[in-house]
Amino acid sequence: MPLQDALPLPIQLAWLIPLYGFSGMVLSLPWASGWIKRHGPRPAAYLNLLMTLLAVVHGSLVIREVLSFGPQHLDIPWFHAADLDLRIGFDLSLTNLAALELVTFTSLIGQVFALGYLDKEWSLARFFALVGFFEGAMAGVVLSSNLFMSYFLLEMLTLSTYLLVGFWYAQPLVVTAARDAFLTKRVGDVLLLMGVVALSAWAGSMEFDDLYAWAAQTPLSPLAASLLGLGLIAGPMGKCAQFPMHLWLDEAMEGPNPASILRNSVVVTCGAVVLLKLMPLLRMSPLATTVLLAVGTISALGGALVAIAQVDLKRAFSYSTTSYLGLVFIAIASEQPFLALLLLFTHGLAKALLFMSVGSVIATTNCQDLTELGGLGRRMPATTTAFLVAGAGLTGILPLGCFWGYGLLVQTLIRQAPWLAAVVLLTNGLTALNLVRVFRQVFLDVAHPKTRRAPEVNWLMALPMVTLSVLVLLTPLVINRIDPLGGIADFSQLTTVLVVASGSIGLVAGCLIRLDRFWSRSVIMPLRAVQDLLAYDFYTDRIYRATIVAFVAGLASITNSVDRVLVNGLVNRIGSASMASAESLKLGVSGQLQTYVLTVILAIVLLLGSLSWFHG
Amino acid sequence: MLSTLLLIPFIGAFALLFWPGQPVPGRMRVVTILVLALQLAWSLRVLLAFDPSDGGMQLQESFAWVSSIGLDYRLGIDGLSLPLVLINAALTLVSAVCTRDISQRPRIYFALLLLISGAVNGAFLAENLLLFFLFYELELVPLWLLISIWGGTERAYAATKFLIFTAVSGVLILGAFLGLALFTGTVDFSLTPVLSERLAMGSQLLLLGALLIGFGIKIPLVPFHTWLPDAHTQASTPVSVLLAGVLLKLGTYGLLRFCLGMFPEAWALLAPWLAGWAAVSVLYGSLAAIAQRDMKRMVAYSSVGHMGYILLAAAAATPVSLLGAVFQMVSHGLISALLFLLVGIVYRKTGTRDLEVLRGLLNPERGLPFTGTLMILGVMASAGLPGMAGFISEFLVFRGSLEAFPLATLLCMVGSGLTAVYFLLLVNRAFFGRMAITPPSADPVADARLDIRLAAVAPRETIPAMALAIGVVAIGLIPGWLGRISETASTAMALLPALLASLQNGGVG
Repeated sequence: MPLQDALPLPIQLAWLIPLYGFSGMVLSLPWASGWIKRHGPRPAAYLNLLMTLLAVVHGSLVIREVLSFGPQHLDIPWFHAADLDLRIGFDLSLTNLAALELVTFTSLIGQVFALGYLDKEWSLARFFALVGFFEGAMAGVVLSSNLFMSYFLLEMLTLSTYLLVGFWYAQPLVVTAARDAFLTKRVGDVLLLMGVVALSAWAGSMEFDDLYAWAAQTPLSPLAASLLGLGLIAGPMGKCAQFPMHLWLDEAMEGPNPASILRNSVVVTCGAVVLLKLMPLLRMSPLATTVLLAVGTISALGGALVAIAQVDLKRAFSYSTTSYLGLVFIAIASEQPFLALLLLFTHGLAKALLFMSVGSVIATTNCQDLTELGGLGRRMPATTTAFLVAGAGLTGILPLGCFWGYGLLVQTLIRQAPWLAAVVLLTNGLTALNLVRVFRQVFLDVAHPKTRRAPEVNWLMALPMVTLSVLVLLTPLVINRIDPLGGIADFSQLTTVLVVASGSIGLVAGCLIRLDRFWSRSVIMPLRAVQDLLAYDFYTDRIYRATIVAFVAGLASITNSVDRVLVNGLVNRIGSASMASAESLKLGVSGQLQTYVLTVILAIVLLLGSLSWFHG
Repeated sequence: MLSTLLLIPFIGAFALLFWPGQPVPGRMRVVTILVLALQLAWSLRVLLAFDPSDGGMQLQESFAWVSSIGLDYRLGIDGLSLPLVLINAALTLVSAVCTRDISQRPRIYFALLLLISGAVNGAFLAENLLLFFLFYELELVPLWLLISIWGGTERAYAATKFLIFTAVSGVLILGAFLGLALFTGTVDFSLTPVLSERLAMGSQLLLLGALLIGFGIKIPLVPFHTWLPDAHTQASTPVSVLLAGVLLKLGTYGLLRFCLGMFPEAWALLAPWLAGWAAVSVLYGSLAAIAQRDMKRMVAYSSVGHMGYILLAAAAATPVSLLGAVFQMVSHGLISALLFLLVGIVYRKTGTRDLEVLRGLLNPERGLPFTGTLMILGVMASAGLPGMAGFISEFLVFRGSLEAFPLATLLCMVGSGLTAVYFLLLVNRAFFGRMAITPPSADPVADARLDIRLAAVAPRETIPAMALAIGVVAIGLIPGWLGRISETASTAMALLPALLASLQNGGVG
């Protein structure tokens, strides 16, 4: 690679940043595969932590240099053939680097948390190897400056999600969860691949900047543009767990909690970042924008509603991730890239903290059923604080992180499309309701048998939690400092009132609804039907099983029977027919030499005759 | 230099056959491995002598043999055949290394293995149609013997089926070659493209049709594929490795070299139909694979699907797609060899390949964790996950074919998605979950084996599997190496029709 003398070393070596994560994986392999058994798996974890720390430090050095030298672009050739030129490109802009820091830092404290959470896990090294892989892929995705590389790494992310969800592969629920996670994302990825291949064939270069220029100049037929747009949004839809590809995130909660922390905060962010980079291309296709808006709206409201009906601690918040990313989709569809980034940033931090708090509860009580939890508030102060801070950060009531995002989003939408602003406010209220009802059930209430002896978690888990709590509290200052929008408080008093009011209504509603067991599945039939509908996620899995799964399975069994009966059967029948004719011919032979000679001579005459006829 | 590539395995085979004294299986195996290592080393030497910037045949050797019937001994190598020669050397070595102690006739077994490798080399290197045909047939009988002597319980049926199908394929190919001489009236069996000046389009289409069916049987393409799953299920692991990794490539090589290369005009005429055929083959193979319970059958059907990509690439015949075809041949060779090797390990350790019976083999202490890990890698590579060989091959094929045949390409991409479905089912069923081997029975509690403790896998199986896995990842991460070898040749081949057209319109000067 050409080293330009003018640039400082951290920028020139920025291509190393994703490699830190990958090399962490490679370094863990001796422990993960059991070649080194003597000292236990801890060294693998320490090596991974070290590599992640390197990535964080390198990233911040690059930020410092970029602040003085301006955004940079690194370009490395990878594969070249005929008119195809595939390159590795890094776009070192401030927004990308901020996303990188979010990814690497979350990964770092997530790994520290994992050391505590998975304390007695025998395959700790495998977990850390996978997290290293995960982190490397994510770091690459956020820095990538070309579509090919983004696709490449998104698929790696799919693979590592599959392996992380399937971490405890011996459990039956994990098996199905890992399968669904892979296949759902794979469907999105194949559709995205179709878009990528088409763009590569039509536009030539895969650099995002070249693609934007190409899209602005080249008129595509409406059909081609629509198909292309739909293909391109399908990949991020799967990654961000949007309706109707949201099922996997909920099931993925069967995986280890530290991975859930990353999945719910930064993995979905990666998907959205790719979508952000694709946004200028989607202008070609009004249909894609409409679909994006519809998907975002359905996900925001649907996710928030389904979350309220969950009795599983982790699932209650995984649906809220779907809901929140729906808002991000709305922001992207309304072409507000920086607003979308702001939402991703504030949500990422707060959601990571929320999942740490949830993880602490699960680690202490070994229980994630809301109906069996209660009264942890006085026993686990750090966890309770973390939950409160994260909850405040996620809703628009107090002026913490997400409040500003909600405010700006409502302010933007209220002029363009008031009903979308209503969706945002409703989501805010429902999220607040969900958080409050979970808080009441887990932390207030009376102590249940499983929560009577609940000591606070060990320092390896408490330290990341407290650090992140402080960070979430400081988020407004941080975003005010970066401030890509020109004033994060750039919204009217009416908007402020609307956001606070919607959040407060949700809060009050959350305080008032009845939570005792008898109400968790009501005897009043209509209410019960609604509760079941939401609790079972609109029966999405059953719909899938009845439609697409049944369709593919049906086609497969039809093909298989055609193959066995028709194709193979025909071959076998020809075989047995020739055997039978040979058997009957055998009986017709007299055994006399003369007959054989006659047959041979006749055959030769026929052959020669036909040849001369053919030539003549 | 190229003749040595034939001499090494052939001399090795005869030395094994006529070695005096009682055969010791272990020593036979070591000798075979040494011979094959020598062959691999020599193939690498050829690679060093090869000039990637030249698109034509290189290192040519020529002796007049039976000139009166047009049979000349002419060898040559280009960017299309070189990767296949390397794959042949590597995979035959793998199958010799992973051969378990065989109880009967080790002398013949190893001699046949060497014979196949030599014949395949000959077929890839031949620059004369009849010479190609000789080697093509020469490989057939040893493989038939390998299946019918050292195969599974229904080996007679499978071997006969294989023999009949491949013999028909041979007859069709020979018929087409002879028909070419008959129609043109000259005994010229060199690799010169046949143009409409020399031969009317109708006759061209007839000959091309015969060749397509002939090679379509070998590749195999739907509906001529039905011998493949049976042959694979009955063949032993090393033979399956060889069959999937190397011998199927004879068909795709023939498709590129003799169908596209010899009849470019007729090919261009048929191309849309061929693309459709490719899409049908891919979808059919993938869907049939989903319904399989036998792991080996599943991998065999996946071969049917993945070979369809090569037909698609050949139909599009753009520089990128043809390069993708070469990539796909190499990566399918490595990946399917890896998968068959791993399925073979599972079969030997557990005694079954039934996906309804096996569960949880990834178990770290009692199961096959290392095999399982490599299996995950193998199926992901086959499903086209980036970072491994399958992805870049498929990407090149799709990228090269999309503009020519959008619909067929998109359908093939759906097939690529289906690959993920069936291979994920394979891994999820056999390797995830709680470890158990539960044959279907009236009393599952009594018959199921839950307290299994599978013995560790021997290095002679893990080392080749590791080597293949490393190859798969290496090509996936650094595809430039392979691309440099083949790019000029595939570009030259793709530009052939355009060049011919310009020649006809008054020449290029």
